[in-house]
Amino acid sequence: MANQGLDRRTVLEMLAKAAAASQFPGFSRWAFGAEQQHGESSPSRPQQHYTPIYFSQPQYQTIEILTDLIIPADETPGAKEAGVSEFIDFMAAHGENELRQPMRKGLVWLDAASMKTHGSVFARLTREQQVALLKTVGYPSHAAPVDAEGRTFFKLIRRYTTMGYYTSRIGLKELDFPGLRLYTQSPACPHTTDPEHLHLPPPRI
Amino acid sequence: MANQIYDVIVIGTGAGGGMAIHTLCQAGAKVCALNGSRRLDPSKDFRNHRKPYDMPFRGFGEPEKRRHWIGYMDNEYTEGIWEHDIAFTTAPGTEWTWRRCFAVGGKTNFWGRSSARFAEIDFRAATRDGYDVDWPLSYEEIAPYYSRVERMIGVASTVQNRPSNPDGEYLPPMNFRCIDRILESGSHKVGIPYLPDRIAQLTVPHAGHPSCHYCANCTDGCDVGAFFSTPWFFLPSAEKSGNLELRTNVLAKNILVDENGRAKGVAYVDRNTKQEVEVYGKAVVIAASCIESARIILNSKSRHWPDGIANSSGQAGRNLCDHLYGTTARGYFPQLLGQPSFPDNVSSSTVAWMPRWQNLNNPREEKFIRGYSVYPDGGCSEFPWYFDQIEGFGREYKREIKRRYPTPISFYIQAPTQRSDKNFVDIDPQVKDMYGIPTARLHFEWDPNTLLMWEHGKHGCEQLLRASGAEYLGSAPEPDMPGTSLHETGTLRMGNDPKKFVTNRFGQTHDVPNLYICDASVFPNCTDKTTTISILAFSLRTTEHLIDNLKKMGGKSA
Repeated sequence: MANQGLDRRTVLEMLAKAAAASQFPGFSRWAFGAEQQHGESSPSRPQQHYTPIYFSQPQYQTIEILTDLIIPADETPGAKEAGVSEFIDFMAAHGENELRQPMRKGLVWLDAASMKTHGSVFARLTREQQVALLKTVGYPSHAAPVDAEGRTFFKLIRRYTTMGYYTSRIGLKELDFPGLRLYTQSPACPHTTDPEHLHLPPPRI
Repeated sequence: MANQIYDVIVIGTGAGGGMAIHTLCQAGAKVCALNGSRRLDPSKDFRNHRKPYDMPFRGFGEPEKRRHWIGYMDNEYTEGIWEHDIAFTTAPGTEWTWRRCFAVGGKTNFWGRSSARFAEIDFRAATRDGYDVDWPLSYEEIAPYYSRVERMIGVASTVQNRPSNPDGEYLPPMNFRCIDRILESGSHKVGIPYLPDRIAQLTVPHAGHPSCHYCANCTDGCDVGAFFSTPWFFLPSAEKSGNLELRTNVLAKNILVDENGRAKGVAYVDRNTKQEVEVYGKAVVIAASCIESARIILNSKSRHWPDGIANSSGQAGRNLCDHLYGTTARGYFPQLLGQPSFPDNVSSSTVAWMPRWQNLNNPREEKFIRGYSVYPDGGCSEFPWYFDQIEGFGREYKREIKRRYPTPISFYIQAPTQRSDKNFVDIDPQVKDMYGIPTARLHFEWDPNTLLMWEHGKHGCEQLLRASGAEYLGSAPEPDMPGTSLHETGTLRMGNDPKKFVTNRFGQTHDVPNLYICDASVFPNCTDKTTTISILAFSLRTTEHLIDNLKKMGGKSA
């Protein structure tokens, strides 16, 4: 490789080698995310059932619902499609302490709050009821001081949902993450006549 | 082998040691190099081309292991590379974080690559403002060495004609991104320079090395060697010369002396066998980095040198300086909201910088003396860390994360501390590391002058953000912990007076003529610039001085 700039083929080979070397089997829904494809990603392969390692089945189900409420599918896939609940269970199983006791305590708080307002555990509420309950803790500027425990729990589950989603193949595609690609020269600002960037095309979103 | 006497023993293979090894081997000297840990295999150890989902813990790391990580570079991508076994202690009241790479090549495997030359304004700082001491040499003397180093390693930048930043011999600069163009426009309004950094990242193929492919993960190591590190740039040719014997996983313990008190070799501990071994040479180069080099000196006690070898001045370990690092301002650009993602982070580097603009014409125009530099950072990064700035959940939350993706911006200050009696390294009388070597103990606090720079930097960066049309979101509540920068300087300072300085103007110890220092410990002060390119330039000069002495002495001790 000496004496030459890298050509595209060399870099693709390097990337493939790196992926092969990762040796990481992935999870049922993560797995398709770890398949290295250059160009467009393939549609997800049939999803297998995931058995939680750390959380009980009811806890896990509630976590999955929460991740889906926090980052839902809309024009693009959401946290559920990206297997974020698997990531959370996996991290908890491997010793992420704040995902253990605090998460279990938070889930207890959630079901208690749910019983109090709607007479049923969180997982059995309608989506509208679930959203309404989360709204009481999801907006610090609105939250009453009595919601401190719920607020802490919401921040925790939202943080790990965000971490799990935006490190998945789906999440990086959602952002259109521009790294780990090949550029033959350092990318330059294309808006040559607008240094202050005050006259850009209207935002796409 | 047991009785072999090498020409030179070199302790360390980072920037300073790597340059010494390279230069000595090319000149035909027989070198034995000692390195604290193993050799890296770029194809296995550097995981820079893996995506987060290729990693079991998505790059966040296994929780149990993560608790022992030191600093952001010590992570799932670089697992097993940073040193965790070699301890250090801190004096009461001192906070110090210290991540060390003991692998072959040292920190050059992962360095930040910003490569500005020191200037006459740095070397003559004491003459200008009356504080501390000048350097024992002029910019004119060291300039040719900087040029040679730039030709060896390749530095990308532009000619900028700034009084604190002599221009060098540069490869084409990296291009400005959207965030740079916006800040450049704002900088004209507030009178802060905003220019391409001097960056040792190959924008074109150079000296047999490929150009950068901008994958964005340089701080996880480069598996093609498109930026300078000693394993990619110096060690292969040194090994090819047949003059290098590299011993890995060995920890230098102390310098051995002959009956006249001159250096005759090094005692080290083999980390695999835990046995102590001696190796002999006509001269010794210590290049173990600022604090470790002082530790070796202070641990080298003998009948001749009761306070440590070459320490008749009592200055070894004193005068420790560091760069204060910290986020002076952060915000986002509303004008980029919802715009397509742009490869802002593909160089994982300081594309631009704001080189020192304070106290240039009048050394006392600010409340503080000397000056600092600032590095901007921002745009599309791998992970949307700004999510904490957004409320709520659901579609709106997801949309806002996407909308904000190209917009984040922050500034990072690099402010030098000034020499102080309070800041130094000594040997902890109570604690030895797992190999039985007494540990270094850090005594350190930020000095008032540096904290004034921090305040000044926060104010200036806020002004620049606002002038650039950004929403300002505040600064870090306090600077990063001391030690974060890994830019320690000054424990074995160079100067002309043997009573006040450990090393002379060539990095040769005043007391022991065949003992040389090739790292930032010889720098009399810590400038606003990073240290690596200067370590390389000074090491080159020191090593050539050593070669001259070897020649003069013929077969005898240098």
